[in-house]
Amino acid sequence: MFDLKKYRKKSPWILHYNAGSCNGCDIEILASLSPKYDLERFGVINTGNPKQSDIFLVTGPVTYRSRERLIELYTQMPEPKVVVAVGSCTCTGGVFRDMYNVEDGIDRYIPVDVYIAGCAVSPELIIDGVVKALDILEKKSKEMEKPLKLFKEAISENGVVNRRNVALKVGEVHEEN
Amino acid sequence: MKKTINIPLGSQHISLLEPVRFKFECENEKIISVDSDVGFVHRGIERACTTKFKFDAIGYVVARVCGLCAITHSLSYTAAVEKLLGGEITKKAKYLRILLLELDRIHSHMLCLSHTCENAGFEAMFMRIMGDRELVMEIQELLTGNRVQFDYINIGGVNRDINSEVAKKIIENLYEVKQRVLGYMDEFTNNWSLSLKFKGIGALSLDDAYMFNAIGPLARASGLNIDVRNEIDYLPFNEVGFAMQTQSEGDINARNIVRLHEILNSILMCENVLSGLPEGAIFTKLKGKPNGEAIVRFEAPRGELMYYVKGNGSAMLERVRIKTPTFASIPVFSHIFVGENYADAPAILASFDPCLSCTAK
Ligand code: SF4
Repeated sequence: MFDLKKYRKKSPWILHYNAGSCNGCDIEILASLSPKYDLERFGVINTGNPKQSDIFLVTGPVTYRSRERLIELYTQMPEPKVVVAVGSCTCTGGVFRDMYNVEDGIDRYIPVDVYIAGCAVSPELIIDGVVKALDILEKKSKEMEKPLKLFKEAISENGVVNRRNVALKVGEVHEEN
Repeated sequence: MKKTINIPLGSQHISLLEPVRFKFECENEKIISVDSDVGFVHRGIERACTTKFKFDAIGYVVARVCGLCAITHSLSYTAAVEKLLGGEITKKAKYLRILLLELDRIHSHMLCLSHTCENAGFEAMFMRIMGDRELVMEIQELLTGNRVQFDYINIGGVNRDINSEVAKKIIENLYEVKQRVLGYMDEFTNNWSLSLKFKGIGALSLDDAYMFNAIGPLARASGLNIDVRNEIDYLPFNEVGFAMQTQSEGDINARNIVRLHEILNSILMCENVLSGLPEGAIFTKLKGKPNGEAIVRFEAPRGELMYYVKGNGSAMLERVRIKTPTFASIPVFSHIFVGENYADAPAILASFDPCLSCTAK
């Protein structure tokens, strides 16, 4: 049977975007997909299409011109999605912090789930980060699939069930679930 | 009615490591004109070098212009400052610099070769070369402590000494790499399906190479013998056995063959460096602040890299100008694309070995 949940966990697809990095971290991502480190043993495949990917690997401190594309790619990815910031300059701006064309890290624009520090990060750390991202991905998909209850229990008075006011108010939905 | 269609490639694309946008105007399958846009990764490093960092830290900052030729960037900057300070560094430091420069060239060329294969649709070769490239990364890590951004060179020498164990390991691994590269040589010249993708595609004639001022392996594949290593004397390249590698066809295959020969030559140079490594200190202290102007050129894996440094006697520099190889090659790129099939575009692009974070800085 077609079991999306299982496939998503066993074979997450990654999308890689360079938002102004120095290439150091990009070639380490390539290296971690290559035979010695072999990230592909976790079923990870590098895709070029945001609409089919689950994990978003970003490198670089977000330059002025790449930020629109970064947000565009992020919004095109389907939920659930995990963002991994690869490299010191992606996390905080690193050596590029305060340069005039740089926006000091991607968490100003999109929410980040895993930060990987290091300049340049080693492939071991990238693998570690992606494996962490897999856990988060699973948690996120569970959360998404949990049904939301939008009503409370009906009150019965003297054998008469009163269904008035069972609908939850907007603020109460999260408390109840 | 308009007969042509516009096809964009980039700014985010599976065959690209970095954001660059090409707009191809195609008639049927043929590309008839190209428009490129390279400024996506501009960060403003040149300006930060004159406002944010002191001159002795800039060697590490300019390494972050590009991760692939990081060592050439910091080396060029350091050589320019050393020229201004007027000191002489020891011979051992010079030899160690050559060693790392050539190791960097080997791994960069291997990456380019594997990427060309991948974009031509030969995934197995990509994996094979990437796997073998780890042998070089391993010794770089042993020698410098990091795999990509080495931070090995500082003003006055190098940061780490080499010991006999590391030297032994380097020799062993390089021997292994050499055997593998000879294997690729066979594959690239005799494999029939690769020849369909590479032979005669994306050709650049000698006259065009001369006219468009092509540099690096791109020019050498067309028979133009320019290599900065032959022309400079800050580092004793000729002493350790440098030899110019040229081909005459100018197509993708010729570029690959030039790169393979250069890897072999670099391996030879590394071995010569290690066998003739002089005794002595690896660091000499240079005093003073840079004052005046200096221009330095080096051969990066992709061609000539030029640094211009101007100081005024204080810790802050007045101007740092970086002219990178890919920047000089963009007109040639556009020229080569015209008249080729669109389906070959990614492979041709990879065979140029473009480095956009260098170009945009
Ligand atoms: S963290 Fe360092 S090596 Fe990685 S992209 Fe940023 S500057 Fe380059």
